[in-house]
Amino acid sequence: MTPCAVTTGFFTLGKCGQMAVAGCPACGRALCADHVADGGLCPECAAARNQFGHPAAAAAYRRRAHRHRTAQEYTDVGWYAGLDTYDRAPFDPGAGADQDYLDDGADALVDS
Amino acid sequence: MSEGHRAAYVAFDRFPSAKGSAVHIRHMAAELFDRYGGGLLCVLGGGGLPAYQREGGVEIVRFGAVVPNLLDRAEAFSAWVADRLAPHRDTLRLCHVRDPWGALPALSAGGRLVYEANGLPSIELPYAWPLAAPSTLAKIRDLEGECLRRAAAVVVPSQVIEAAVTSRGAAPERVHLVPNGADPVRPGLPRPPAAPGRYLIYVGALQPWQGVDVLLRAFARLADLTDLSLVVCSSVSPSRARPLRRLAERLGVEDRVTWQHTLPHDEVAAWLTHAELSVAPLTASPRNLDQGCSPIKVWESMAAGTAVVASDLPVIREVLGEHGRLVPPDRPAELARAIRVLLEYPEAARDLGRRARQHVEEGFTWKHARARLAAVYDRVEGH
Repeated sequence: MTPCAVTTGFFTLGKCGQMAVAGCPACGRALCADHVADGGLCPECAAARNQFGHPAAAAAYRRRAHRHRTAQEYTDVGWYAGLDTYDRAPFDPGAGADQDYLDDGADALVDS
Repeated sequence: MSEGHRAAYVAFDRFPSAKGSAVHIRHMAAELFDRYGGGLLCVLGGGGLPAYQREGGVEIVRFGAVVPNLLDRAEAFSAWVADRLAPHRDTLRLCHVRDPWGALPALSAGGRLVYEANGLPSIELPYAWPLAAPSTLAKIRDLEGECLRRAAAVVVPSQVIEAAVTSRGAAPERVHLVPNGADPVRPGLPRPPAAPGRYLIYVGALQPWQGVDVLLRAFARLADLTDLSLVVCSSVSPSRARPLRRLAERLGVEDRVTWQHTLPHDEVAAWLTHAELSVAPLTASPRNLDQGCSPIKVWESMAAGTAVVASDLPVIREVLGEHGRLVPPDRPAELARAIRVLLEYPEAARDLGRRARQHVEEGFTWKHARARLAAVYDRVEGH
């Protein structure tokens, strides 16, 4: 049996694995009956062509968009995630050089 | 929201406030908003400032969340700015920012980015947060570099910081020098009622790198000039001045030092005008040497026609040139001697003040600064 090679799952991703009945004409991967999307394509190829008829195509599209967004070196999410608790602890209010520092805002970082 | 804004100015600073940075924001943002017929101003709130204001075409939104940890606050600010900018994505043409916390969301907000680098957190943060690890500062330095490299233009107030931003990867042809300025003080300002007879003046914040302690020590050496007082016009609250007050007591000069806190900007001008000398005792710290600045206190003293005695640092040389008296930094004795000499020769001091004022009027008023900034915007739009 050739298993279906479409990626499925919400949190833990894996291959679908059901018996394949067709191949995607674009990428050639094996597809089960459930995963044949618009035009006989696999969901991912369909999503790449902006065809979201198949529910799995919409999921593939969102995954792709997410990877695209977060692949940039510094998105908000990506950058601040790089600062861990070790980095952050020295900036707690009690750790300032001056205990009075917060009384009118430590916003004076960049004072012309 | 009626229609999208075409311009946004983002600053991780409280605005308005008594600090030099607020004066700077006022003039730079005014230029941006005049050009685009209004825009969005995202700044820090607190201190009783309203969270939302609409002034003609300008919409002012203030970040009011209470987040104690500074980096957490910066992160929350970035996310908040991203949300504020999102509705304007299709119309936004220019985003003007002052720090990496604002630059991050602005980079993906559509529109071109103008990064105004007055200071670099990776240099400045350790002064306020001495426990910050070098690896943390390296991460912040990376972030600065990333934002500076991706900005369409970087605006710097001095050549020292120009060198600092190019060393972080900003393309030299995209870095533009726009020195700060000051508006000439109109003559005939009345003497402040609280002013002592003859006084030296210090204007500004009280961080250690400002060198106010050096000034106090120098002032203690002028004890024989019994009619002379020192006025410290602090832009921060009295509680921050506590360590310096204790130092003044220890030096035995507390009776001759007058403290003024968070005075409105226009009152400071009157204090400056009637002072014998204005002192800018900046220390020779990495903050001043590597990062530089364009100290508004020096510009405003010059504009008031008051002679300036300042530390001999590259940044001060740039601003003051030969229109003031330079002394070696961190040397109370040298500072005291320079002050004494200028007090002995009031005619020379007046002449110095006059020339400084003329220098400012001829090329360094806020009008000139705005014109230079407008030229940067022209270039950014032209590309």
